[in-house]
Amino acid sequence: MLKYRTARLSNIVRARRPPGRAIGERGRGLSASPRSCSGKGDGRSPGAAPMMIFAALLLLLLTCGPARVSADDSPWQWTMALKQNLLKDSMIMPTSLYIDEEREQYYVVDSGRNRILSFTRDGELLTIFNAGRSLDTPFDMVRSDDGLIWIVEKGRNSLTSVNLKEKSVQPMTLRSDGALLYPDRLEYHDGLLYVLDKMTGDVVAFDLGLNPVRRYACGDCIEGFIDFKIHGDRLWALDNPGGKIVVFAMDGTVVERMDLGDPVTYPYSLAVGPAGYIYILDRQKRNIAVYDKNGTYKYSFLRYGFARGEMYYPTEIRFDPWGRLCVTDEGNARVEVFSR
Amino acid sequence: MRALVTLLLSLAALLLFLPGPARSAVVCLDCHDRNQFTNRVVHEPVREEQCTRCHNPHVARHDGLLMVREGRLCYSCHDQLPNRFNRGHVHGPVADGQCTVCHDPHASAGASLVNEDLARNCLVCHDKLPLEFKYAHAPFSKGACTECHLPHNSEQQGLLKATADELCLSCHQPESLQAGHQNFPADPAGCLTCHNPHGSDRPGLVRNVLHPPFEKDCATCHGLKKMQAAVCLDCHQGVSEEMMRIHSHLTRQDGNSCLNCHSPHAGDDERLLRGPLQQLCVSCHMDVIEGYRLSTYKHPAMQNCGDCHEPHASNTLSMLKGDGIEVCARCHESQGAFSHPIGEDVIDERTGQAMTCVTCHNPMGTEFAFHLLDDRGKGLCILCHKNY
Repeated sequence: MLKYRTARLSNIVRARRPPGRAIGERGRGLSASPRSCSGKGDGRSPGAAPMMIFAALLLLLLTCGPARVSADDSPWQWTMALKQNLLKDSMIMPTSLYIDEEREQYYVVDSGRNRILSFTRDGELLTIFNAGRSLDTPFDMVRSDDGLIWIVEKGRNSLTSVNLKEKSVQPMTLRSDGALLYPDRLEYHDGLLYVLDKMTGDVVAFDLGLNPVRRYACGDCIEGFIDFKIHGDRLWALDNPGGKIVVFAMDGTVVERMDLGDPVTYPYSLAVGPAGYIYILDRQKRNIAVYDKNGTYKYSFLRYGFARGEMYYPTEIRFDPWGRLCVTDEGNARVEVFSR
Repeated sequence: MRALVTLLLSLAALLLFLPGPARSAVVCLDCHDRNQFTNRVVHEPVREEQCTRCHNPHVARHDGLLMVREGRLCYSCHDQLPNRFNRGHVHGPVADGQCTVCHDPHASAGASLVNEDLARNCLVCHDKLPLEFKYAHAPFSKGACTECHLPHNSEQQGLLKATADELCLSCHQPESLQAGHQNFPADPAGCLTCHNPHGSDRPGLVRNVLHPPFEKDCATCHGLKKMQAAVCLDCHQGVSEEMMRIHSHLTRQDGNSCLNCHSPHAGDDERLLRGPLQQLCVSCHMDVIEGYRLSTYKHPAMQNCGDCHEPHASNTLSMLKGDGIEVCARCHESQGAFSHPIGEDVIDERTGQAMTCVTCHNPMGTEFAFHLLDDRGKGLCILCHKNY
């Protein structure tokens, strides 16, 4: 166990807000703002010339057309970005997002700078945490019910527990069936840690003592899984080259398979929305394909780029408890939050 | 009446001097040597002396005064071919519509107007293939490339006519193979993991470099353990450490992701690769290569993916060998000094990150000159300089 040397909160640095701009300031969506269609008059007398009436009607028609919901005709609008705005201190290749519903906080894993940034629900940067500079290429994180933070450290090939009260860090390698695991994605559910093993492509559930409990494997997947989420007492796993989703009951039995078909070319991450719709991040197309509960493709949105609401190298998608869709973009070093 | 006669005479004179099909070759061959267009097989328009079916005698946008771009021109008559040639793996010249790389458009001694010496023709492009081996495969030494390869497209990698094993077994009878593989634990399969189909310095076309455990004791790897990548990484510690990076090629693929690219038994060089690196990359990243090929402007020297990308793992985007400046600066040494400022002190306000070469360029190809992300006239600049 490593003790990281700190004074109180010394390595949980309260970030400075860049001058002249509030971090996480809410912006407008990608589309034009909805226009007023109240139909109220402009104060001119009703006896105006017919030409004026015609012009007014024309103006009314032009301004009261259906408001465009977004640049992609999707119901999703850009809401805010989670990012570090300080010069020369922006995140480098953020890889994942964890959301603490109880504290109403976002945690972004900044793998390139070996740290974790926390944000308020409104996107304001709260703290920057690096566990006494002991983290080595963090990749994903969760917080367990006992208050421990669990971090996948790629640089150590470990699942590392961080005890904030004791200010201690304990990297641990994982084994299952005698084989060393290469942890990748991480989830926490009902007292168990769910780890995606990059070597086998299987998801392995561990208790908090890091004893393997259960394995979620895909026999007919070429590569195993690339991402998974737990939603509605089901484990949803994504098979990248096979272009399909495998849905497991929590006891490890496969209950459903869904083919994603042509709309996606390189499925990289998945999320299940509050209404049961399935969202698939396509890293190559830089968009998100949406499927209904039955696996029927509905629409895609987002596009390649660097500007607000655009994706460069998106790496993970996740819904927050407030129904917003969060996209972690390694390439643009930020998490974009979209809401309906 | 007089006017009518004048009009008819004028029309007749005009028809006489127009390069009509029947007359075109007569005029052309006044200058162009007829012998250039005669051989065992002659292209139909040439035989019918209809030069103007392909060429404009006065002016054209395309080399050789072609009426339209090569490829499109060929397909204007051979209109069934595009649908046949766009499936599976497509040979580069076919994909680029460069039919004349292999075919002579006028006349040839070879069937289908294939340029005279087919093997020599293949090796003009496939110049990394040795011309001679100590032990050469018979079809290779005969120059009969098409005994194994399809010239246009194939469902198989390497434009093979069938899977590699199927091809081998089409000539080499199973009984004879059993005799040559006395201690082989199963029916011989995966021939190319040990044999080079063109030739080698070893008898039996066994590849030149043997994996040391293969040479000494099969049980080193074929023990009790599952044949996962872990078996390889137990010995290859350096690669094992590389796998602890953000992005890696470590997957379960077909049981052991190492074997997607490496042969566990023998190879043509120390890397024990299963084939040319680019061919290996394409086997998974087909879309990337397609995007590159179809781009109007692309990085010119894209011969080896490994020039810019790490093959095993990397802590950078796209598994590059460095950040968006380091990789480019290895060749473009002075670019940052006189072009748009880049580096840590130049921040892209859209993302808050340092500007690099890839902020404006995509070396995998775009529709804009210098493989820029937008039009260099204005479109690119105003992405950041809004008030420009």
